[in-house]
Amino acid sequence: MTISLQPTRGSRRGHQITPRRLRRGLFLGVMTVAAMVWIVPLVWMFSLALSSNTALQTTTTSLVPVAFTLENFVAVLQGGLTPRWLLNSVIVTGVTTLLTLLLSAMAGYAFARIPFTGKRIVYPLVLAGLMVPREAMIVPLFLMFAEADLHNTYQALILPRIAAPLGVFIMTQFMAAIPLETEEAARVDGANHWTIFWRIFLPMSVPALTALGIFTYILTWNDFLWPLVSATEREMFTITTGLASLQGNFAQATELGSLMARGVVASLPLLILFLIFQRQLVRGISIGSGNK
Amino acid sequence: MSVSVAEERSVEAGHSLSVGTRNLSGRHRSANRWAWLFLSPFLAVYVIFLLYPIGQGVFMGFFSWDLLAIDRREFVGWDNYVRMFWGENMTWDPGHLLAWRICGLSILLPVVVAWQRRRISGVTTTWLSLALVGIFGVAMGFHPAEGSRWLDSQFWLAFGNTIAFVLMSTPLIVGVGLGLALALNRAGRWVGLLRTLFFAPYVLSVAVLTLIWAFLLNPQLGLIGALTTWLGQEPISWLTSTSLAMPAIVVTTLWWTVGFNVVLFLAGLQDIDQSLYDAAATDGAGSLSRFWNITMPGLARTTLLVLVLQVIASFQIFGQVFIMTRGGPNGATRVSIQHIYEAGFRDFELGYASAMSVFLFLVMIAISALQFRFQRKAES
Repeated sequence: MTISLQPTRGSRRGHQITPRRLRRGLFLGVMTVAAMVWIVPLVWMFSLALSSNTALQTTTTSLVPVAFTLENFVAVLQGGLTPRWLLNSVIVTGVTTLLTLLLSAMAGYAFARIPFTGKRIVYPLVLAGLMVPREAMIVPLFLMFAEADLHNTYQALILPRIAAPLGVFIMTQFMAAIPLETEEAARVDGANHWTIFWRIFLPMSVPALTALGIFTYILTWNDFLWPLVSATEREMFTITTGLASLQGNFAQATELGSLMARGVVASLPLLILFLIFQRQLVRGISIGSGNK
Repeated sequence: MSVSVAEERSVEAGHSLSVGTRNLSGRHRSANRWAWLFLSPFLAVYVIFLLYPIGQGVFMGFFSWDLLAIDRREFVGWDNYVRMFWGENMTWDPGHLLAWRICGLSILLPVVVAWQRRRISGVTTTWLSLALVGIFGVAMGFHPAEGSRWLDSQFWLAFGNTIAFVLMSTPLIVGVGLGLALALNRAGRWVGLLRTLFFAPYVLSVAVLTLIWAFLLNPQLGLIGALTTWLGQEPISWLTSTSLAMPAIVVTTLWWTVGFNVVLFLAGLQDIDQSLYDAAATDGAGSLSRFWNITMPGLARTTLLVLVLQVIASFQIFGQVFIMTRGGPNGATRVSIQHIYEAGFRDFELGYASAMSVFLFLVMIAISALQFRFQRKAES
C-alpha cells in the first residue's frame, strides 16, 4: 500500500504542475492501478496462506490475512510429502541447470571457436532441434525409460531436459562474439583448447550463462507433463506435479489455507530468484527466442 | 567424461612440445579431435533423448503397442492414422464447414502472399498456398455421412478445442502484450517496478497458476464471484459451463504468460532507431502518425516472431485444462495433448498415442519452421 503513494510524492516534489507532468502522473496512476489489479491473484494466494483454516470457513475473499497465522506453513513444511517434493524439485532443477550450462558451453565453444570438418552439417542439425515440440515426444521417451527401467528416478527427470539445443544456440552466439585476441594471447603461451575454454571463455561467458541458467531453472522447475508421466510414485513427484495432484477435487476447500501455503512454498523460490535475476531472465528470453 | 578430456589434454600438450612446427593437416586433425571431444557430451544426449525419440515415435505409430505388454507389439500399417482421421461412411461435400473454410483461406492466403512480397520469410509461396488450398478446400470437406460417426470423435473434438484455444488466446495475449509494452516503454524506476509486477506471474508453475485461478473463478469462494455479487449479479460458475470454461482458461493463460510477450515487444521497441522519432517530431508529425509510420513498421519482425511463438505455445496447452477442468465440462476443454496423454497413459495404447503425437508434431513443426527462420536470421 505504501508503494502506491510514491507517484503523488514525486509530483509534489516539483514546484509547478505542467500539463506534461499531469499527463505523466495520470498515466502512471492508471498503469499502477492496472498493475495492482494484475497482482491481486498473487496477493490473494499469500493472504489465504497466512490465514487460519477455520477463519477461511466464513470468508475467503480478503486480500489481507484473516486471523493471521503461520501454522499453515509450519504444517506443510513439517508433515506430509511437500518437503520431499520440494527437495526433488531442487535436486532435479539444480542438476539439470548445471548440466545444461556445462554441456551447452562446451558445445558452444566447439561450434564458435574450433574449425572442424562436419561443422556445417552438425550445427544446422542441432539448430533444427529448436523446432521439436517436446510435448509431442512424450510417448517414445516414456517407452525408452520404461525399457531401461528408469522411471521414478532422478535420471529420468533430468536427462531428457539437458538435450537443450537452445542452450547450445545461445552459447555459440555468445562465444562467437568474443574477440579473437583473447584467445590468441593464451595460444601463444601454449594453452590447449580445454585450458582456453575453462580459464578464459567460461569466465567471460558469465552473462550468457546466467541468462541461460535462470531461464533453464524456471522452465525445469515448472515442467509438468514429463514429471507427470515419468514420476508416478508419490515420493518422486516434483513440487509442480505434487501440487497438481492435490487439486482437482474441491473437497479440500476446507483446508484452503494449507493448500495455498503449498502454492506459496512452490512459487517463493522462483519469485525470489526472479526478483534477483530479473534482468538476466529478460535477456535470456530475448536472446533465446531469436529476437536479438 | 572429464577424465577423458583431461587425458586428451595431456596428450595434446606432449605433442605440441615435441613437434615445434606442425603441418596443416596435423593441426586440422587435432582441431577435429578437440571439437568432437567438446561436442560429444551434448551430442550424446541430443541424439539419444531428442533425435532418436522422433524416429521411435514415427515407428511406434505403425504398431498396436500395449503399455502393459510392451514386448507384444503388432504391426498394423496405417490403421492408427485411419482411426484418427477417418469415420464410417465418409463422404465429401463442398459445403461442409463452409464458413470455417472460407474464413481460414481468406485470412491465411493473403498472409502468405504478403510474406512473400515483403520477403520476411523465404518459404515458397506456391507450396504454402497449395497446402492451404489442400487443407481448407479439399480435406475439410470430408466428413462421415448423416448418422455415422468418426472412428475417434474425441480426436477431432480435442483438436477442434485446441484450435479454438489457439484462435482465442493468440490475438488476445499478443494484443495485450503489445499494448502493455507500448505503455511501459519508457525509462524510470517506477515503470521498471510496473514491468516487474506484470511479468511476475510468468515465473509461476502451472500448478500454482491453476491453484490460484481455480479458486479465483470458484463462484462460492473466489474473488471474481464476490465481484459479480457486489455488482448485483448472480456469481457465474465459469469452469462448469460448457461455453465459458474455455474463455476462462484463456484469461487464466493471459494472466500467466503475457509478460513473456511484453518482454519481446519491449526488446523490439528498443531496437527502433530513436532518430526516426526525432526527425518525425521536427516534421510536426503527431503521436498517432508516428505510431503508424514508425512504431508499427519497426515492430513488424518482432510481432511476427511473437505471433509464431504464441501459436506454438498455445498448441501445446495442457496443464491448465488438465488440472482445472480435466477437459470438462462434457469435453468442452479437452485438448490434443490431453487426448494423447490419456490414450497413452490411461488407455495404455502407446501406438495410437504415438500416431497422434506424430500428427501434432507435424502441425507444430510447420509453424516452428517460421520461427526457425528467425533464429537463422538472428544468427547471421
